Amino acid sequence: MNKYYTLSRQDWEKTLANLINQYHIYAPLSYNGHQDYELIDQDSISQIVYNRPKPATPLKTFFLPIEENVVNIQPPTHTRVIMGVPACDLEAVHIQDEMYLNRDYVDPAYKKNREAAILIGTDCHSTQEHCHCTSYGIKPYPQTNHDLTLSLVEDTIYLYINSPMGESLAQAIREIAPLEDPTENEIQHLLDKRSQVEQELNHKNQGLPDYKKTGELVARSDPGIWKKYAETCVSCGACATICPTCTCFLLMEKPGFEKVRHLDACQYPGFEKVAAGEDPLRPLYKRFYNRYMCKYVWKPEKFESIACTGCGRCIEACIGKISKNELFLELANA
Amino acid sequence: MDNGNIYKPIKAKLLEVIEESPTIKTFVLQPERKFSFHTGQFIELILEGVGEAPFTPSSSPLVKEKLDITVMKTGFVTQRLHQLKGGETLGIRGPYGRGYPLEKLYDKEVLVMGGGCGFAPLRSLLYNLQAEQERIKKVTFCYGSKSPRECIYEPYIEELRSFPKFEVMRTVDEADETWTEEVGVATVLLDKVEVNIPNSVAVVVGPPIMMKFSVQKLLEMGYPENKIYLSMEKNMSCGLGKCGHCMMGEYFVCKDGPVFSYDEIKDKPDIWK
Repeated sequence: MNKYYTLSRQDWEKTLANLINQYHIYAPLSYNGHQDYELIDQDSISQIVYNRPKPATPLKTFFLPIEENVVNIQPPTHTRVIMGVPACDLEAVHIQDEMYLNRDYVDPAYKKNREAAILIGTDCHSTQEHCHCTSYGIKPYPQTNHDLTLSLVEDTIYLYINSPMGESLAQAIREIAPLEDPTENEIQHLLDKRSQVEQELNHKNQGLPDYKKTGELVARSDPGIWKKYAETCVSCGACATICPTCTCFLLMEKPGFEKVRHLDACQYPGFEKVAAGEDPLRPLYKRFYNRYMCKYVWKPEKFESIACTGCGRCIEACIGKISKNELFLELANA
Repeated sequence: MDNGNIYKPIKAKLLEVIEESPTIKTFVLQPERKFSFHTGQFIELILEGVGEAPFTPSSSPLVKEKLDITVMKTGFVTQRLHQLKGGETLGIRGPYGRGYPLEKLYDKEVLVMGGGCGFAPLRSLLYNLQAEQERIKKVTFCYGSKSPRECIYEPYIEELRSFPKFEVMRTVDEADETWTEEVGVATVLLDKVEVNIPNSVAVVVGPPIMMKFSVQKLLEMGYPENKIYLSMEKNMSCGLGKCGHCMMGEYFVCKDGPVFSYDEIKDKPDIWK
């Protein structure tokens, strides 16, 4: 436990070729410059993307699929090993767990998906345009909620074991290929990469308010700014769907008293509408504002975990080209 | 719930459908096993394959074998519910949320204000207070409705009036020749009530507009904000504090409410919408 190991990329790929018989292994694959988690088969092992942020889909969809029957629960057929999970997505697991595994009501569908996953986190060795995890106190490398850390540097795989589940996976690897001890220089090189990326993020996001400050800014903001930024919003809900910490859902009733849960978004019309007709979020700008209040004001009051991990996906996904970072900079400089 | 899955309902047989008004019916259910709730808590009532909706039972929480759900025909699920005749099997999830704070009502003069179908959850509270009448100073029940035809629970009103500690005052927006009680919106009754406000607690349930003006009036009368309790109607879908549809500020109305004291929610956005 708590130690680095190395193996050659060749040995690692040989190991993966073997492990896919036992596990469902998901890893980032790249298409036209974008990448997403895909189920790995023998042919795709060599195409796995390492240490590059970030899969287009957040990790949450493994635990909260877009659609799932929550009464007639179908557990995953195999344990899932999910590789290439960036720190922003791992941090988001905190609020998902708080929401779905809280002591009052444990969500059985979420629980079985969560328990069926071995999470392999990855250091980010580069950044994307809208990455800003460090602004919210998150490092660009895994710190929580993962079983193993895995990085690739110059054809060497570096493993760091973080949990008993990670240890058992490491044991399975050992049975196929030996795990070596890295030199101190190699470890230092990895650590240097970490601080290099961290500095890069700090530099490019200079002036962006931190998580606590964002809450204060939203809470005392003028309604005008929300109307202005919502002007190009089309209520598509992409920001919430793609957000690793947005977890709202809709229940649909099915025959046999079964229920299907769909991921939902407060950006859709009628989200809070009641049968009698009242709808506090009828104006579009109020729905837009609601999401910010939820993430930066209400969730911090109610939850211990952070409700925005600075992944920047909402900015990338927005077809109205709304940048929450621009919004926060404007709020901060008002 | 003891069946391990928070989304799995227990089944309940629809024993009887009582027509309370042209738009309101009471569904008498017999759950497949004893069902306990605290007055003011709500359930999700499930019409198989159609949908589910939140309702606060209108029957006494002391009765475990049967459950009355009084439903106004207003949306998709309730329209389908109103077509039922009896004998069907429905589903129930719950009970959910925080109900009326009974312990805060002990030794008090309780002012209960209901509007329209808001009488339904209040009937459950009134049943509970009847059963515990020795712990209550008195209960003044003010009920407002659109018209005499829309007034629900007529036989129960008669029963309640026979209890010495219970006073019932009613008003309708539009009277007809048969109506002998007050005329006007629900708040007109507040001009007539005789309560010792420093020793009183108010409970208000009704349409948002009625609750808004009732709270205004109660505050003018001198009720402190923390002595006014409201049952909020929001889009409570999961009942578990997870789906997000009923958020009101940082509260999940389904879990933190639906009953709140006014001081808890007065600064939250759009509470009357």
